[in-house]
Amino acid sequence: MKIEDLELPKQTHEIFNILARGHFISSNGTKDGMGRLYDILNDPVNFEKLQDYFNVLRYKIEKGNNYFYFSKLNEPPSITEKKLETFEKYIDIIDLFASLDNKITIGSRFRPSEIAEECNANVRLKQKLAKIPLYRSENFLNKIREICDMLTRDSFLELEDENTETYKVLDAYSYLLDIINAITIFGQPNYSENTNDNLSDNIDININPN
Amino acid sequence: MLPYRILNRIVLINIANVKYTDIELNGNTCFVGANNYGKTSLQRAILFFYSANSRALGISSSQKPFEEHYFRYDNSYIIYEVNTETSPFFVMVYRHNKLVFRFVDSEYNPDFFFNENNEALKFREVLAKLDQRNIFYSNQIDTFEKYRNILYGTETDPKLNKFFLLRGNEKYQNIPKSITNVFLSSKNSIDSRFIKDFIASAISNETDAILLENIERQLRQFSEKYQDIETFLKKETQQLIELIEQKYDQVQTLKTTQLEAAEKLGSTLRYADTQHNILLNTIQEKENKIQQLKEEFEAFKYASEEKIKDLREQIGFYDGMLREAQRKLDIYKEKNIDEIISKHNEKQQLESRYQVLQKEYEALTSNVQNIEVQYQSLLNEVRNEIQSVTNKINAQITEIINHYNELILLQKEEQNKRENSLKQQLQSTIFSLDQEINQKQTELSQLKSEERISSSIQPYEKEIKQLELEITELKTKIYTGKSELAIRQNQADSLQKEWQNIEKQLQQKFEQITLNIQKQIEQLKKEIAQIDEKLNIQENAFYGFLEKNVPNWHLSFGKILNEDILFKNDLNPQLVDTNSPTIFGVKIDLDKLQIVSKSIEQYQTEKIQKLNQIKELENQFIQEQQNIQNEKILNADKYGKQIAEIKEDIKVTLYAIELAEKKERKLIVELEEWKTKAAKETDASLQTIREKIAMIEEEIAILKKRKQLTETEFETQIQNTIAKSNQQIQHLKQQQQKEIEQLEVQRKNTIKELKDKEDKLIAEKQNIFQNKGVDNKKIQEIQKQLSELQEQISEIQQYQNLINDYLKDKRDLFDNIPLYKQKKEEFVTENKNILQQIEEETKKHNLERLEIQKQKKELEETLYQFNQGILFFQNNFKETPVYKHYAQIIENAEPKPSNFSITDLCTQLLKNESYFNEEYTQFQRYINEYAGKFRMDNHFGFFIRHDASFNEYEKFAQNLRSFINENRIEVSITETSALATMIIDSIAIKVKELSGQKDKIQHIISLLAEDFKKAEFEESKLIEYIKIRLEESDNKIYKLLKKIQEFRDEHGIVFNEGLFSSNQNAPKKPLSLQIIRMLDQLRTAIKEQEQQEIRLQDLFELKFNIKEGLNETGWTHRIDSIGSTGTDILVKAIIYITLLHVFIKESSVKTNKKFKVHCIIDEVGQISAHYLKELLRFAKSRDIVMINGLPNKSGLESHYKYTYQFKKEDDGTVRIFPSIVTEVEV
Repeated sequence: MKIEDLELPKQTHEIFNILARGHFISSNGTKDGMGRLYDILNDPVNFEKLQDYFNVLRYKIEKGNNYFYFSKLNEPPSITEKKLETFEKYIDIIDLFASLDNKITIGSRFRPSEIAEECNANVRLKQKLAKIPLYRSENFLNKIREICDMLTRDSFLELEDENTETYKVLDAYSYLLDIINAITIFGQPNYSENTNDNLSDNIDININPN
Repeated sequence: MLPYRILNRIVLINIANVKYTDIELNGNTCFVGANNYGKTSLQRAILFFYSANSRALGISSSQKPFEEHYFRYDNSYIIYEVNTETSPFFVMVYRHNKLVFRFVDSEYNPDFFFNENNEALKFREVLAKLDQRNIFYSNQIDTFEKYRNILYGTETDPKLNKFFLLRGNEKYQNIPKSITNVFLSSKNSIDSRFIKDFIASAISNETDAILLENIERQLRQFSEKYQDIETFLKKETQQLIELIEQKYDQVQTLKTTQLEAAEKLGSTLRYADTQHNILLNTIQEKENKIQQLKEEFEAFKYASEEKIKDLREQIGFYDGMLREAQRKLDIYKEKNIDEIISKHNEKQQLESRYQVLQKEYEALTSNVQNIEVQYQSLLNEVRNEIQSVTNKINAQITEIINHYNELILLQKEEQNKRENSLKQQLQSTIFSLDQEINQKQTELSQLKSEERISSSIQPYEKEIKQLELEITELKTKIYTGKSELAIRQNQADSLQKEWQNIEKQLQQKFEQITLNIQKQIEQLKKEIAQIDEKLNIQENAFYGFLEKNVPNWHLSFGKILNEDILFKNDLNPQLVDTNSPTIFGVKIDLDKLQIVSKSIEQYQTEKIQKLNQIKELENQFIQEQQNIQNEKILNADKYGKQIAEIKEDIKVTLYAIELAEKKERKLIVELEEWKTKAAKETDASLQTIREKIAMIEEEIAILKKRKQLTETEFETQIQNTIAKSNQQIQHLKQQQQKEIEQLEVQRKNTIKELKDKEDKLIAEKQNIFQNKGVDNKKIQEIQKQLSELQEQISEIQQYQNLINDYLKDKRDLFDNIPLYKQKKEEFVTENKNILQQIEEETKKHNLERLEIQKQKKELEETLYQFNQGILFFQNNFKETPVYKHYAQIIENAEPKPSNFSITDLCTQLLKNESYFNEEYTQFQRYINEYAGKFRMDNHFGFFIRHDASFNEYEKFAQNLRSFINENRIEVSITETSALATMIIDSIAIKVKELSGQKDKIQHIISLLAEDFKKAEFEESKLIEYIKIRLEESDNKIYKLLKKIQEFRDEHGIVFNEGLFSSNQNAPKKPLSLQIIRMLDQLRTAIKEQEQQEIRLQDLFELKFNIKEGLNETGWTHRIDSIGSTGTDILVKAIIYITLLHVFIKESSVKTNKKFKVHCIIDEVGQISAHYLKELLRFAKSRDIVMINGLPNKSGLESHYKYTYQFKKEDDGTVRIFPSIVTEVEV
């Protein structure tokens, strides 16, 4: 079948550009028509067509809870390992976010200054933040900003309002949580608290696939 | 006097830097002066005459406004003198707070404005002077609009309608605009866009533009709202709503439970505090009461027992007496007491008879006294011996009897003793058994009472009753709720129908109005077309002939002409005799006829009126559309709100019913549980009691059996003893009998011997007596009788003691037996009564004791629970965060008793708090996720802060619930659909309105092309031709706008059904999606293009093709360089003049009154004399007078009729003075 025959949506290129960068398309994203792209991908007919199309390019669209991402077909394990190593940096960040009084969950809107304030007032959080290796370390606010920038770059957050520096947590954030939940520390009893889904059994890692 | 109207002169008095100047303008005029000398200012002052718009004079915003820069003093005036066919008039402009105009029916005279000292007068003084000279001047005209109406001949006020420069038509505004545009754009290069702008701005108003900012704003609003609604309607969002609702309910329930529990805990703690001492006291009271009861009962029991003891003694006494009496009676009976007594009663009789017989005997024996005495003595001796033997034997028998009796008695006593001992043993055993049985019986009675009490007391009765009551209430509530629901549903349906009907009516009404308005507009357009036709042909028709050639024909000849004749163009009218007031030689009195023909102005006015009417109708249509839309929105608001309120009520009622049903189910389960629990507890308590009862009954049975056995055993023992005793007695009796029989035999033998001896004696005696002759027979008989009597008396004598004893016993005992019996009976009854009383009292006491003990136990239990609870609260609860959370409620609670223990409440609070936290975290998560789906400033207000408090989350959920219940999404959809409809309608109307002017553009362009064609460039051979043509616009925004308008016209309003229908197959869904896409594209285009508005010029493209010499530009937008700069200026000026000419022609009415206007082009310095000459000639042929500026004298000024020079004085003022030049004939 020819590509033209697939009658792909006109946003295919746009979708590919986002996903191929290792980014996610979340349903609650607003920038660059992300919500619209999600709707397009979420349409079963489109999804099938796009899946077929991207399979040719050796990509597979993976569907998470209100988000999509690419995984590579037949990826060598060494790359997966590398990805896991890369993932390490998120663990401390998510740990920090999860330790906040007002927990950061999908859809939460927050300002880095709010988190920095909380970190300033809480020794435990301070320690957690200090543990995160970052370049800009002049003050907490900058560190948090750097974290937010990084998460935004990786499409887990979205800078919703530049004036007030308000970030929104995108649906893709649950991917990070799922991965964390899927981690089993050897030598420790395996608490099967993860009732969310079956990700722990077989998860497709999507950390900088390229 | 010139035969046409023209701005003849401009006089400046104290205007800007000019103190006074008087400039003639009735020919081509040139201002020569260096830069910043005031040339442009003067040209603006001239322009102001035409435009009367101080804001459209090209004064930049950094400069002082026209009013302030020009009119600095009270006596600053600009005077414009207008030449007419008859006499000139002038317009004075001055500042009276704002700029005002006055038309003065006189030519300008400096005397009006200056006093003798050449000082400019104030306007009141000027007016006074005019009054003095009886010169008419208009009232103060303080609006630019009115001024222009007067100047351009559309003023209807007869006092003012003579002060016109030309007779404009409804488009007369184009003339000042065109003059202004030429002046303002003369410095720009020639670009078709500028020409477009020129044409467009000339034929359109400033308001004739589609403001994209507004559309973009509306589109943004729509797009945002659409996006919000779309997000809301998404499946995932709806699922989240359900989850939020569910969690909210759970959180609420938990919160309420926690609050209630906290309140209960507080109340119970306070209550426990207050109750501690009370309980202790009450327990002590109960203890005392029990002690008191015990003491009272003991006292009673003691008294009763003492009584019983007495009674028993009495009974025993009487019983003993009766038994004694009976025993004695038995003995007496055994001794045949009755016979003995009866014999004793015969004793006296026997004694009397004996004495009688004794005497008789003595009498008979008196002869043989001695013998008798002798024998008697012998006989007596024998008899005595017999007696003695008898007595002795009797004594021996008695002794034996006594001995044996004694032995028997001893035996009997022993027997009795043994029997008594046995009986005593038995009695004691029986007594102990009886006591045991009694005790068991008492216990049994107690247990039975307890059983009765327990079975009569239903545990948890209060709770069960409370639950039953609550269930009944809930059932009533559910029933009422369901009725209410049905009513509400009906109401909602009725309102929905009503709403639909009203919508339908509104639609019909709107369609009707649209139809009417369209009809009216069509009618008016037809009429306008007719007027236009008349106006177009009038010049060549009979009407035009009359206008040109016959003055005042309307008042004479015109009275008998109808319009058909007047507008015929094939009548070839000729003036033959203008002085003859006849019609074909017939004279009629024309005064009797009314004027039927209309002047051009009247036609024009009529046309303007009709155009205005169309505009009004269009406005009315928009207004009606708006009204209908508003009404629809109002209805949507009104009915939507009402329906939403009802639906809200329905949902609330449904929810209440659901809750009530849930609660009912829960309560029923709870009730069942309570009942089961109660039954179990009753069973448990009864079971114990019953087991105890069974045990005691068994014990009693055993005891009774034991008693019976003991009794039997004892009876056997007694019987055995008795038998043994009887045997021994029998043996003794037998021995006694044997011994007595031996003695009897002995006595019998002895007595027989003695009797034989006696008989011998008696026989000897009798022999003697016989021998002596004594009747022996008689004596023997008497003796026999005496002996018998003696025997009988002796026998009786023998029983004397017994009889005495009997009589004594009879008197003492036997006669009292009934009394004893009665007494015994009485005492037994009394004893029985007392026993019964004791039993009853015991029972009563036990019950009372039991009850108090139970109460005491309960109180102790309560106290224990309280203490345990307080301890638990202190040790395990007070330090937890849960306490801190509810501390205020707990500490401020009113003391109240509760069914729950403090420990239970603490545990419940702790347990629930962790559950609550889990639920709340999820609730929070769902709300964050939900709010995150929407834009930050979404129009639903779904926003939650990161650090929102519980109350804020709660409020969010409440708002969401209200939103759902009130069905606000429907209102929002209606509003958004209305907004979309409004935007599309507004776009369609505006595009239509604007596109409607495209015909005018086409017309103007054709006129321009025509005018260019007419231009005579042959003489100079400079410009071969200038061609102009119109092309379709390539403006992206306009194209989209047009597309939307076409879509609207083709499909009408498409949103009512399809905008947010989830059904892709909904009839209007594809259309809705199509138009939404268009709106989206439009918004993007507006954003990308950064264009502020779509004006008339954006509707078309204009292209020129100019050939100058051998150079041809080809069809192009921009004419950068046709030739030299001079050529460019020339071409530009030619185009401007053409434009001006066309617009003047288009915007004025052709009358016999000629006029000329000025074309102000500032810088023409670089044009060659030859070109200038050409240009002036070009203008002249179009009745246009040129006003130009030159930086210095270069010879060009010689081609102008007037040349004025500008000179700056030392004091900074500018002097403008005419330059002496010779005008070269154009």
